[in-house]
Amino acid sequence: MTEIQRGGTAIDELGPSTEGMDGSLLSVRDLQTHFFSREGVVKAVDGVSFDIKPGEILGIAGESGCGKSVTSQSILRILPKNGKIVGGEILFQNEDQIIDLATEDADGRVLRNIRGKDIAMIFQEPMSAFSPVHTVGDQIIETIRIHQEVSKEEAHDQAIEMLRRVGMPNPARNIDEYTFNLSGGMRQRAMVALSLSCRPKLLIADEPTTAVDVTIQAQMLELLRDIQADLGMAIIMITHDLGVIAELTDRVMIMYLGKEVEHGTVEDVFHRPQHPYTRGLLASIPKMDPGRVEIEPIEGVVPNPYAMPSGCKFHTRCPDFIEGVCERHEPPLTAVARGHEVSCFLYGGREALE
Amino acid sequence: MTETTRETGMNERTIISVRNLAKYFPIESGFLRRQVGVVKAVDGVNFDLNEGETLALVGESGCGKTTTSHCIIQAQRPTAGQVLFRIGDAEPMDLTRMEKEELKEARRNIRMIYQDPYSSLNPRMTLLQIIGEPLVIHRMVESQDELQERVAELLRLVRLDPSTLNRYPHAFSGGQRQRIAIARALSLSPKVVIADEAVSALDVSVQAQILNLMKELQTQLGLTYLFVAHNLAVVKYEADRVAVMYAGKIVEIGETEELYTNPRHPYTEALISAAPNPDPDTKYRERIVLAGEVADPGNLPGGCAFHPRCRYAEDRCRQETPELIDVGEKEGQSHLAACHFAEKLELTGIAGAIQREERESA
Repeated sequence: MTEIQRGGTAIDELGPSTEGMDGSLLSVRDLQTHFFSREGVVKAVDGVSFDIKPGEILGIAGESGCGKSVTSQSILRILPKNGKIVGGEILFQNEDQIIDLATEDADGRVLRNIRGKDIAMIFQEPMSAFSPVHTVGDQIIETIRIHQEVSKEEAHDQAIEMLRRVGMPNPARNIDEYTFNLSGGMRQRAMVALSLSCRPKLLIADEPTTAVDVTIQAQMLELLRDIQADLGMAIIMITHDLGVIAELTDRVMIMYLGKEVEHGTVEDVFHRPQHPYTRGLLASIPKMDPGRVEIEPIEGVVPNPYAMPSGCKFHTRCPDFIEGVCERHEPPLTAVARGHEVSCFLYGGREALE
Repeated sequence: MTETTRETGMNERTIISVRNLAKYFPIESGFLRRQVGVVKAVDGVNFDLNEGETLALVGESGCGKTTTSHCIIQAQRPTAGQVLFRIGDAEPMDLTRMEKEELKEARRNIRMIYQDPYSSLNPRMTLLQIIGEPLVIHRMVESQDELQERVAELLRLVRLDPSTLNRYPHAFSGGQRQRIAIARALSLSPKVVIADEAVSALDVSVQAQILNLMKELQTQLGLTYLFVAHNLAVVKYEADRVAVMYAGKIVEIGETEELYTNPRHPYTEALISAAPNPDPDTKYRERIVLAGEVADPGNLPGGCAFHPRCRYAEDRCRQETPELIDVGEKEGQSHLAACHFAEKLELTGIAGAIQREERESA
């Protein structure tokens, strides 16, 4: 406990950065996470900022290599060995303290206390969240007892209750089963039960519906929606599927090559997309609407991460490319409406260059 | 039309006719590998693939769509049934009865594209070797120069730079690799291309490029596609006709627009309803969320295999297996569904809300 307090006070002494959390549960500011390898440095996340309020559902969307998963791994400090946070802050409001997760020791007690308890995560592949040699119940009970001072019996009851909430058909029996005995959909549910067993304030869901069939995906989205209404935690939904984003989230941030290109409410971003990349993404998805709806792909390919374009990262594929501007300067975030920001020179930022 | 074609009942436009196709896998157990059961991966599938069209096979994991495509090209030998294939006016041949050598000719005309362009392309071969290999095997070229020329031409066809033919696949992104796989598939100028989840592993912006490329190539070369996929929105964009599979059987087959707007099988209705739509306005619409999971093809429920998950199921569904029957309402369009209540049920398609309002106000 003392370490948590020390973490808190240390940040408090820094002064300005702790101000203006503005009721946010998590505030990520100018996060930079880079990967170092023999071939060079990959700036997987390069200056990303966002806030999430308690009980809010935020979507982070983008294609492979945009940095959405690295952002979530940075928050929980579970980056691969060659990945490092080289700048920025990840401020987490824990009780009445603010902790900067970016500067805490990744293996230290503060993070170990937060991981699984205050911030939990669900993954694409449920088998990766479970040990195959322990029963589902043992693993949920273990998690509960690490973070809460309860007896084995109480933890057992809590685990059964959680399995019931996520819609397991027979919680009293399922609790003694191994994950390999469960079907794909049931494993997903068990993973949600495990992640929610300590009633986290924030749940990070990293592509949890990507590997499952559409009917199971529908079950999973319904479950997340119900359980969010029930327990009131905030959710960060990370996915490449804009359909899932539209269906589940309140606000969305679109990323491209480690940068935020646009954020706003889902209604703003989907009905009034401003950034050429967002518009291109939306135009390239086949729709489930009656009649013939044409799709328009974005030209070109995602650039090699070791040879990032200068200026705006999207300029090599952008239909609205402004020569002499976009390849030379990085566009600032510009507000186009209340709570709707875009980083593109079409909407401002050019005046400052002159 | 010749006598033989009339005898086999093949429609003039049909290029492949799949008849009562079945593929069973034994379930073995114990040290002696005794057979204790059977997985009916494909069980009595019938459809015709017409020249120049795109027919999609859709369904969830384990529904038998991939096994069906493998049985067509004889990558897996079916347990029963026929796969009739006809080139031009020639007599149809039954691929299931042909020996390996005889199949060569048919396989030159039916090519496959797979889902994962990272594992389907040999990393130690250059583009020239990858794309040129079928040409060499089938002795379609006489010299190295001719081979280079043909491969360069194929690269241009799929909009890749022909000067890259001596490079290896690792130098290319996922979308570009899928173009390479398409170039390889087209190298022998086939009549039919079977695309097994060919765009599923790609990012949406690249997926759109490949979908459009496949359409352009179809028009340009007169190709016929069998498009195996699970994404309903992609299928709606790409296919002329759709066959929905569940537990090894076709449960509904019809023209794409008709099947999506006017589904006649409850499973199709549920699939359409579950597909996420990138439109926040549809966020709060009523969705049909199917309980449970896809039926285990090794232990199928009796009667209609879909009945445990069907919200309209009645006693009859638990006992009798429904046949695929014609439920078409539109002149000249075939629309089949395998549901006892296909004629009675009022199911909701993509335009469901609009249609219902119209019906009510009428």
